[in-house]
Amino acid sequence: MAATFFGEVVRAPCRAGTEDEEEEEEEGRRETPEDGEVRQQLARKREVRLLRRQTKTTLEVSLLEKYPCSKFIIAIGNNAVAFLSSFIMNSGVWEEVGCAKLWNEWCRTVDTTHLSPTEAFCVFYHLKSNPLVVLCQCSCYVAEDQQYQWLEKPHNPGNHTQSNSCQVFWLQMVFGSCPRKNVQVTILTCRHVTDYKTSESTSSLHTPFLKALKTQNFREPPCCSLLEQPNIVHDLPAAVLSYCQVWKISAILYLCYTDVMKLDLITVEAFKPVLSSRSLKSLVKNIPQSTEILKKLMTTNEIQSNIYT
Amino acid sequence: MASQYDRAITVFSPDGHLFQVEYAQEAVKKGSTVVGIRGTDIVVLGVEKKSVAKLQDERTVRKICALDDHVCMAFAGLTADARVVISRACVECQSHKLTVEDPVTVEYITRFIATLKQKYTQSNGRRPFGISALIVGFDDDGIPRLYQTDPSGTYHAWKANAIGRSAKTVQEFLEKNYTEDAIANDSEAIKLAIRALLEVVQSGGKNIELAIIRRNQPLKMFSAKEIELQVNETGKEKEEAEKKKSKKTA
Repeated sequence: MAATFFGEVVRAPCRAGTEDEEEEEEEGRRETPEDGEVRQQLARKREVRLLRRQTKTTLEVSLLEKYPCSKFIIAIGNNAVAFLSSFIMNSGVWEEVGCAKLWNEWCRTVDTTHLSPTEAFCVFYHLKSNPLVVLCQCSCYVAEDQQYQWLEKPHNPGNHTQSNSCQVFWLQMVFGSCPRKNVQVTILTCRHVTDYKTSESTSSLHTPFLKALKTQNFREPPCCSLLEQPNIVHDLPAAVLSYCQVWKISAILYLCYTDVMKLDLITVEAFKPVLSSRSLKSLVKNIPQSTEILKKLMTTNEIQSNIYT
Repeated sequence: MASQYDRAITVFSPDGHLFQVEYAQEAVKKGSTVVGIRGTDIVVLGVEKKSVAKLQDERTVRKICALDDHVCMAFAGLTADARVVISRACVECQSHKLTVEDPVTVEYITRFIATLKQKYTQSNGRRPFGISALIVGFDDDGIPRLYQTDPSGTYHAWKANAIGRSAKTVQEFLEKNYTEDAIANDSEAIKLAIRALLEVVQSGGKNIELAIIRRNQPLKMFSAKEIELQVNETGKEKEEAEKKKSKKTA
């Protein structure tokens, strides 16, 4: 063993490997019954359930099977959620059709019954005047093992013994095993500008800025330039887009690179070019009123941490 | 590659980066915007005020601080780091006055702060200061000065600059609008600072703090009413300019 300057204790590499060491490692890798029990409990805790929030009953089928739609708009992250809340959701009456209840190490909200719009973690709405438009606001982090359906077997809440070579739940919960092809999916999300790979220095970039990534079946021109290589998309937006690409669903992701990841007016307004897209154009009614709603949303969330001034 | 070279401040990456210093520059962007303007007879510092919690005393949240009677500084970044730097700078100002019997020049105190910051980029077990600062003041020769320091320990003189969140937007505005006419007199310089801040401060005058130093005068902090007055005047001038423009195009 060796100690680093910062007080970490690390295993010093040794080229003189012995059989004894290998046996010790093997023993360490074997799972005890207690470990298995803990793992199963964790798997049960990490299960994603789709509920009707008012009745708290589980939806028996996937969301889009229950509520078929032609337009599905997903906002992931608080800035994207604030954008939809201010610019889209004031255009009509939206009815909540479900919420996804999940827990992981990053998800802090436990109680799904009393959520304000900005802390709602995964809520689905449809437009009352046109139920074919479904919207999802996802403020929580959906972990990798919660994103994808486990493709080989149908979802069985009682079956927790399987290993997780594939991940489960969110996409199966929402899209189902056989998604409709004629739905158009629009995903909005944010990422920190330091994740953006470019030959320019990040200090010369005009943040926030919008980039798009689309599936092969998406035919319309995007509202901004496409995301260049070698940049990649992560987490739930990547899962949704990959799913749509595999199932030949028309989908586009609008990714806003910003240097302020918390709720920020300038970052939210960076999504405005998306309002001219075909999916969202018909849903936008009153932009000055939307701006006012956005400002109010900002004031309620404006109290900042004292760490930075 | 970054993850192998970004844990220790004293380690260069193969392509010459000191990642901890660059990460400290990211911390600066988390602070609210600060703009500094060097006029002919005035220096102006404008900051975007942070929203305070209901029960928090607003007076304890200050971005503009006097280092001496003729020098003041505004910062963006980690609050605690700023407190330490300001404290060391104030002590140095007094120490210099006692030793040399002359007040510090703006450049001297800027160099002191920059040297302090640089030491923390080259020491074991320490991390860089996560602040950038705009330091303004007048020297004995009566010339106004504006300097900027950053976490790497570099400092440069500027005619006008901005730091903190959305600094880039404000810098672009200043590059277009900083002209000899814009700083022709004190009130024009103040209006330029306000207009620059209003590019990024959405909620108007109530979230702006302004300070000026005039030649041979101490630091003056504007009250909320004075700022509101200036913001309203700036707003009216902007409307009139837009009306004239639309008349011309019509």
